[in-house]
This record gives sequence, structure tokens and C-alpha cells, in this order.
Amino acid sequence: MSKGAGVPSPPVAAWDERQRRFEEVYLTYRGSILGYVLRRTENPDDAADIIAETFLTAWRRLEDVPCDAEARLWLYGVARRVLANHHRGARRRSALTERLRADLAIGYRPPEFDDGQAQIAEAFRCLPPAERELLTLSAWEGLDYGQIAVVLGCSRNAVRLRLFRARKRFAGELASCQARSAHPAVHVPNGGLA
Amino acid sequence: MSQISRICPVTDAEAERIVRPATFADLADRITASPAATADGRPGRPDPAASSRARRRWLIGAPLAAGLAAAVLLVTWLASPAQRVGPAGVGPQVAQALSFTTSGRYITVIVRNPLADPSRYRAEFAARHLDITLTLVPASPSLVGTLVYSGQSGGANITPITAQGKCYTGGGGSACPVGVRIPADFRGQAQLVFGRAARPGERYESTAPATAPGEVMHGMRFQGDTVSQVLAMLRERDVTVPVFNYARQGYARNLSHVPGTWYVYDAAPWASQQVMLFVGPTKTPPSANSPQPGTPVPSPTS
Repeated sequence: MSKGAGVPSPPVAAWDERQRRFEEVYLTYRGSILGYVLRRTENPDDAADIIAETFLTAWRRLEDVPCDAEARLWLYGVARRVLANHHRGARRRSALTERLRADLAIGYRPPEFDDGQAQIAEAFRCLPPAERELLTLSAWEGLDYGQIAVVLGCSRNAVRLRLFRARKRFAGELASCQARSAHPAVHVPNGGLA
Repeated sequence: MSQISRICPVTDAEAERIVRPATFADLADRITASPAATADGRPGRPDPAASSRARRRWLIGAPLAAGLAAAVLLVTWLASPAQRVGPAGVGPQVAQALSFTTSGRYITVIVRNPLADPSRYRAEFAARHLDITLTLVPASPSLVGTLVYSGQSGGANITPITAQGKCYTGGGGSACPVGVRIPADFRGQAQLVFGRAARPGERYESTAPATAPGEVMHGMRFQGDTVSQVLAMLRERDVTVPVFNYARQGYARNLSHVPGTWYVYDAAPWASQQVMLFVGPTKTPPSANSPQPGTPVPSPTS
């Protein structure tokens, strides 16, 4: 009654090749995409859904995934759009990710920052989202100007200029944070400012 | 190191270590069980032949949409468990593959013949103006009788009906969808897949974690043990291992034999009294991006 698992079908070779190609992409970049997403959302449920949707897009558009290391940038670009949709409230809880959610809920704990890191984080949070994205693509994903340009879909020169401005603004915010932090220590012995 | 690098919450390698190999494999299975793009670039329907070829591909997949309910679909098993298994155990052919009972705003649909040809289900839904495709796939024991896949396009939302204790999920829960609710005036298109008992030797197309209650490795602790040790434990349960999954340098291979000194990272149900083990030569699973012995060490990320 039920069809057997070994039913012959003409496009087996093409299907197997597609499976093999997806597996190659998935195995090579799953850590990168998982890391990229976890660095940008602390909610394991959200992270699991974003990761699944990113690779689901890769599966459906496998022909568009570059065959070389550019595949990582392509996947970042997809994950970035999925993440943005998620932040806009387009949450789609998927049963695809039940186990992934469970693993992340158990295994992932956001780090606790020391004072120095907390200052950096505070300064970082003061930046506009677009600048935060540029800085993290450079610092966390280790991308150069050209690679960031691929992910963001803009020119290399634009990335260079915007990153320069972002770094400058971040340095200013960090200096302000450090000054605010240092200020009370100077005046505490006297009980306050003169 | 830049200042921003200092507040990097997690590295790629750390992230990858959080997720178990079987979870990664499970997600890949679920994704590749989804329809690939059609010629016009839009997602198409799942290809049943593809799922057969891919084996063990259909899993609890696809979004289970939420919404108002007006019809209830329930699968119950009229055959006893022993009758469900085996090609000769189906019993006399029933006139209807499904039975429909209308009660108020609800229609209860019962699968009378879990081994019927899917076209019969479709025809009986179609006779009630419902464009619903129902199939049943061999599932690991704790998923038998549960909804393992639901997808729809158009129409009001379909919602799953969950039942406590019907199966055990990767997250440790035991509430599984055992049916779906569909609006009485549903005019969209839906695909539903339920798990059925596998015949002896038939590979599962939908699996729960191997250690879930009801599964053959329930209660076993084996991560970090050697292949020999785990095989010995499995022998005591009359469980065999036809396939070892070994992922290395961007490729996962299914091997029939591996050294007994290798280590077991994870396991997944494969067929009745059979499991697949995720193995490798190192005590802990290597990150996909971590350097293999003897290969140049790449520069670190961030």
C-alpha cells in the first residue's frame, strides 16, 4: 500500500547532488551563522528560528549560493535580512527548530562583562544601529571592507567611509563613558562636586 | 584586538559546541525535507519521491500555523499496534480511508486506514471541498500517531491540537500535535503528515531524540563513550547500528563500520531497533571550522 523507500526516480542524481551541495554549505558555515545570530540576539527561540530560516533560504535558493568562501557572506546577507524582519516583529515560530531551540536554551548563556567591557558595551549601545552593524561585521565576523560591502550590498568605498565615521563616533562615546565613570571617583572623598 | 572584539558575546566555535551533532543533522533533514524552489523561484510543494529517496527526511517540520478553529482533524488508529506493523497486518480493506463527523462548527476526521494510498485521503477531503493532502510516514515509536509536518498556503490558519504524553520532544516536553483544527470554510491548501509505525527494517522518515521516552536509547548516557562501549550497551537492548555518521571537513559520510576506539557524540533513531550514531576519532566533536590535524591554522575570527 504505502510506497517503499526505494522507489526509483529519474532525477535521483540531481537530487543527491543538491543534497550534497547543501550539506557542504551547511556543515561548513553552520558555526559561522549560528555565531553571527547568537551575537545579535540573546533569545534562543529567536536565534533558532533565524538560523533555520537562513538555511531554509539557502536550500531553496541553492543555485544562488556562491561556490567559494563568498558563500559565508551570502549567508550573512540572508541572516541579516531575516534578523531585521524578526526585529520588526515578523516572528515565525517554526517547528523546524524545536531541538535547536532546546539546545540553545540549555547551552547558551550571554557573557557577563567586567567593568571595562561594560563601558565598551555602553558606548557601543549609544551608536546608531547601522554603525553598530558595521563595527561588528568588522570586529566580530572579521570581515574586510570588500566583504562587508558584499554583505550590505553597497560599495567598498562607502563601507570604508562609514566605518571610519562609526569608529570615530564610538571612540567619542567610549571616552564619554570613561569620563563619566571616572568623575565620581575623583569627587567621592569630598562628598560631591564643589 | 579592537575594543568591540572585547564584547563579542560568543565565538563561532563556542556557538557550534552548544548544539549537539544530532540537532544539527536533524535541522538539515527538516530543511531538505522542505520543498526546494520551483522553476519560477517560488517554493513548491514537497516532492514525495524526493522524501522517499532522502530517507528519514520527513520530520516535525514546517511552521504549524496558529489561528481560529472550526474543524478538527484527529487521527486514531483502528488497528491494534500489532496490526499496524507489517505489510500483511493491515486487516480488511475499509470502504473509507477517512471518516468525517460534523459536530457544531467542528468536523472530526478520523483516519480509518493509516496505510491507505494518499490519493484516497485527498479524494475524500476533496469530496468535502477541502484541498488537504494527508500522508503518513514511518516514524520512531514516540512519534507514531502524531502530526509530524503541517504546511499550508492560503486560507484561514490551521492549528495543531496537542496532547500531553503522546510523544517526547527534543526540548524535553511531551506535548505533541496529534491533530489539527481547520476552519470549516477552509479554502486554502494544506499538507499534513502523520507518523505511523514502521515496518520491520523500514527506515524512519521522522524521528524523536534517541533517548526520549519510548525510544530505544531512553535513559542511556553515552556521549563521550567509545563506539565499542556504546555498541555493547546497545546489544543488551537488542539495538543495532547500521550506519555511523562521521562529519569531517565539510562533508558528512554514512559509514557501515568505524573503529571501536572512536567516540560517540550523539545518536538518532534509524529504524525499528536500529539507531544511527554520530561518531569521530576525537573525544569531543570537532567544530566544522576548526582546523583538522596537519592542516594550516587559519587566522581567528575577530
